[in-house]
Amino acid sequence: MKPPKFRYHAPSSLDEALDLLATYGDDAVVLSGGQSLIPMLNLRLARPAEVVDIARIDGLGYVEAGECSVSVGALVTHRKMETDPEVARLLPMAREAAGLIGFRAIRNRGTVGGSVAHADPSAEWPAVLLALDGSVEMRSSSGVRQVDASDFFKSVFTTARRPDEIVSSVRFGSRFAGNWGFSEFQRRTGDFAVVVAAVACADSSDRSGETRVALAGVADRPVRCAEAEAALADASDPRAAAEAARDAFDPAGDAHGSTAYRKQLVYAQVLRAATQALTRRAGRRPDG
Amino acid sequence: MSAPEPRLFGARVPRVEDDRLLKGQGRFVADLDFAGSLYAKFVRSDESSSDIFDFDVGKALACEKVRAVFTGDDFAGAEIRCVSAYEGFQTSSQPILATDRTRFAGEAVAMVVAEDEYAAEDAAEDVFFSVLPLEPVAGLDDALGDGREPVHAGWTGHAFVRRSMATGGFERVAGSAAHRVTIELRNARHGAIPMEGRACVARYDRGSGLFELWTTTQIPHLIRAGLADALGVAESRIRVISPDVGGGFGVKAQLYPEEVACCLAARELDRPVKWVEDRREHFFASHHSREHRHQVTGYFDDDGVLTALEADIAVDMGAYSVFPWTSTMDCGMAMGILPGPYRVQEYSVTGTAYCTNKAPYGAYRGVARPAACFSIERLIDRIAKHRGIDRAEVRRRNLIGPGDYPWHSPSGLVYDSGSLPESLDKVLEASGYDRLLADQALARAEGRLFGIGLAVFTEQTAHTTREFQQRGVPIVFGYETAKVRLDATGTAVVSASIHDHGQGLETTLAQIAADRLGLRLEDIRVEYGDTDQVAYGAGTFASRSAVLAGGAVVKAADAVGDTLRQVAAHRLEASPADIVIGQNRLSVSGSPGAFIETAELCRLVYQRPESLPRGVEPILEASRTYDADPGTGVYTNAAHLASVEVDPLTGKTIVLSYAIVEDCGPMINPTIVEGQIFGGVAQGIGTALFEEFVYDDEARLLTSTFSDYLIPTMTDIPDFAVDHLETPSPHTIGGLKGMGEGGAIAPGAAIASAIEDALSPVGDAVVAELPLTPERVLALLNRAQQQGDQR
Repeated sequence: MKPPKFRYHAPSSLDEALDLLATYGDDAVVLSGGQSLIPMLNLRLARPAEVVDIARIDGLGYVEAGECSVSVGALVTHRKMETDPEVARLLPMAREAAGLIGFRAIRNRGTVGGSVAHADPSAEWPAVLLALDGSVEMRSSSGVRQVDASDFFKSVFTTARRPDEIVSSVRFGSRFAGNWGFSEFQRRTGDFAVVVAAVACADSSDRSGETRVALAGVADRPVRCAEAEAALADASDPRAAAEAARDAFDPAGDAHGSTAYRKQLVYAQVLRAATQALTRRAGRRPDG
Repeated sequence: MSAPEPRLFGARVPRVEDDRLLKGQGRFVADLDFAGSLYAKFVRSDESSSDIFDFDVGKALACEKVRAVFTGDDFAGAEIRCVSAYEGFQTSSQPILATDRTRFAGEAVAMVVAEDEYAAEDAAEDVFFSVLPLEPVAGLDDALGDGREPVHAGWTGHAFVRRSMATGGFERVAGSAAHRVTIELRNARHGAIPMEGRACVARYDRGSGLFELWTTTQIPHLIRAGLADALGVAESRIRVISPDVGGGFGVKAQLYPEEVACCLAARELDRPVKWVEDRREHFFASHHSREHRHQVTGYFDDDGVLTALEADIAVDMGAYSVFPWTSTMDCGMAMGILPGPYRVQEYSVTGTAYCTNKAPYGAYRGVARPAACFSIERLIDRIAKHRGIDRAEVRRRNLIGPGDYPWHSPSGLVYDSGSLPESLDKVLEASGYDRLLADQALARAEGRLFGIGLAVFTEQTAHTTREFQQRGVPIVFGYETAKVRLDATGTAVVSASIHDHGQGLETTLAQIAADRLGLRLEDIRVEYGDTDQVAYGAGTFASRSAVLAGGAVVKAADAVGDTLRQVAAHRLEASPADIVIGQNRLSVSGSPGAFIETAELCRLVYQRPESLPRGVEPILEASRTYDADPGTGVYTNAAHLASVEVDPLTGKTIVLSYAIVEDCGPMINPTIVEGQIFGGVAQGIGTALFEEFVYDDEARLLTSTFSDYLIPTMTDIPDFAVDHLETPSPHTIGGLKGMGEGGAIAPGAAIASAIEDALSPVGDAVVAELPLTPERVLALLNRAQQQGDQR
């Protein structure tokens, strides 16, 4: 478990990092907290020629509240998301999700930007981003662009990011505020999620009836479930939403569960997340 | 002559080794850094059964810093063989590197040796060979059928060995029994997974022809014996040293090909050769354990009293017979111990050790007893259900009672002593059983799935000559050795043939020696793990080290004490019989003013030989062995009680509480006993809920990282309630019994019982397969639902 040879770069500014990516393109990978990349290097699943470590770059560690969104710098750690009072107030779902990522040692190092760029299909942040109508900001030496979460995640470990771009921040929509539910199934505390359900809905007074149900661990990328959203928006029926979500996906089986079992997990997580969201919308505290 | 007063025996003395270990001052094999070391990386087969040919190592050899690439032919003269004396045993020969055929996924086929680990791993990717996958014997299903070629050429069928036995009255009693129930039970293949993997460094001195192997082993002397065979070298030319070891649990109690390969490479290259296993290699190629299938039938009367027991046992032993145990150990142990703590007298059993294209199978804490306990305890729960009797009550009716010892089990074991019914009653108390029942009633009223489970077992420990003779192993592990040496400053070095890799033996042996020599704990240094320290011995396994090494320390210390008494008597002008040893002095009984400090006496012995009485040599050293006669083992017993809650939507099980009452005889150090129990139960929770090596249909391992192979972490382990009984063995010095394995034996049975109980309001589903993953529990819940609907 020793990585193959690579060249290590530790730029001290974003511009310097972007120049390196412009130079090396596909041959380079970006290292932030290292909680996914380092194991992949050691297992030789990733074999980059150049590693660009952005940990020393200042100015990517902010949490900034906007009008109806919260911007989070790429180097903000999971632990900061778990403990920051602004996050707790404006993005309670994000705080809940952060606390379920790995162990505290992992949360102390792992970053939101790193997780989003890594695009593990069962990871928490991509699902939260989808549920909260988020977007991803990317920078390259030629400019900056903002891509909706729904367009950013393409497939397993594959995103809309070009090789010369860095994920510089992510933006979570904060308009759902208190009307949220989040439930994930882990075999053990701190494990990778098997199935994640994140539910956010508009206030009852909001005539849009907007309802978002995002799932991780059911497909090659985080996905929304229109059938479940409809069941919740139309009938406020968590059970119907859970059944709809269960029937909508056929997740691939592995050592942690067959397809049939994963479908049952989809049912369980959507039922729980949806129930939480509706309970909160009604102004009550969910159980447990 | 009276024995010294025990002062430290039984005391909760903090472990002396912890200061070193907790400060990072331990010395492990991976820490060793000999000048000029080379580093080995093994190239391993992805396929299980395959023909391999056309090796091309040219590119790897040409890599920077690479010093050698070895393939099977280079080491063809060496092999690992371990042949059982059982009639009909079919044997295997394990190559050091596979030559033309691989037999399990992960088997080493080439060895790259380079100046650093990075260069070795890089070059390992440039070793090329052709692979022709063959149809494997992928597991017990294949081995039980007849459609596959045997793993080894020249074999008939797939069994290393099949054995049967039956008591004379079995047919009669079983035939006339009022009731019978049959269950089939499965235990998944899993392993010990110590925190430290395996590692070794081999050095060879051309001048003396001496091999020195530093290795992570529990059994240094046996590794030396195995190496002598494999290398064709005299034992006097081999020194094996096992320094601090980060957990063994049995997986480090076998000789492995990598140890032989590093010795051969070190001789060839005239440089130290170091290999440190990575975790992926550990999953693939360190020995696995626990994979049992049992079919068990119990015959019982209206009162739920078991009168006859029938069992068919199958164990998937993987591809090779391992040294020094052979491939018969798990099956034999299961056949022997299956009747367990119960008074059943008629027994018929067949056991088969199968050879498959999976990783070889070695020892793991409990050796077959977790599977045996699972089978008999699940059967007893079935009998309780069948007769409508409370699970504790049906056990009381069947347990061996205090008046039944020595108990001759129907498999031929002799249980020396025990406290089974008392341990059962006491665990109900320790667990707060009444409160648990109240909690359960409340939970059930809310529709929650809350269960309570019980398991009782008796555990053979510290078995020696007679037991291992019967097991047909080539080396009979009959005794352990201790050497005690007092120095001129009145402190002692205790050297032992056992090894301490977490058991606290450095402390417990020091407690024993300090008491016998009348010294303080800090006056004793315990050393182990070096074949140059003591003559011979087997090492640490089978819950025997405290009993056997402890007994040997008593004998050796007393022999040294005899010399001290003689010299002291001479100085104090008294009779040796009147000399009392204690509190760092030797004094004349009844004359408190007449004494000499032990340190002063030791100085006289070594430095003033003129002060010695005639005939006493100036040496304070003795080596002794101890074999715990009669050699059939002494029996520890315990009762475990678990409570669990099952999530009805996902099948996930949380262990809410866990109570243990254990009787291992007099405890040298209760804190250490409890630490051993807690660690064992934690591993047993892994057995119950998490751990499983999953192979595909081609016998390729699918679980090769800690994200696929789950072990319990601290959040999966509840607080433990623990209590003790202390029934001494009539056989051993100090009445000691072994207890290192017990904690790991019962959790599978207790937690399965609790889950079955949790599901019982829904319906009756027989819990008979481990681990109880959420998916399996959910399937059981569905089955319970169907059964409940029909009800």
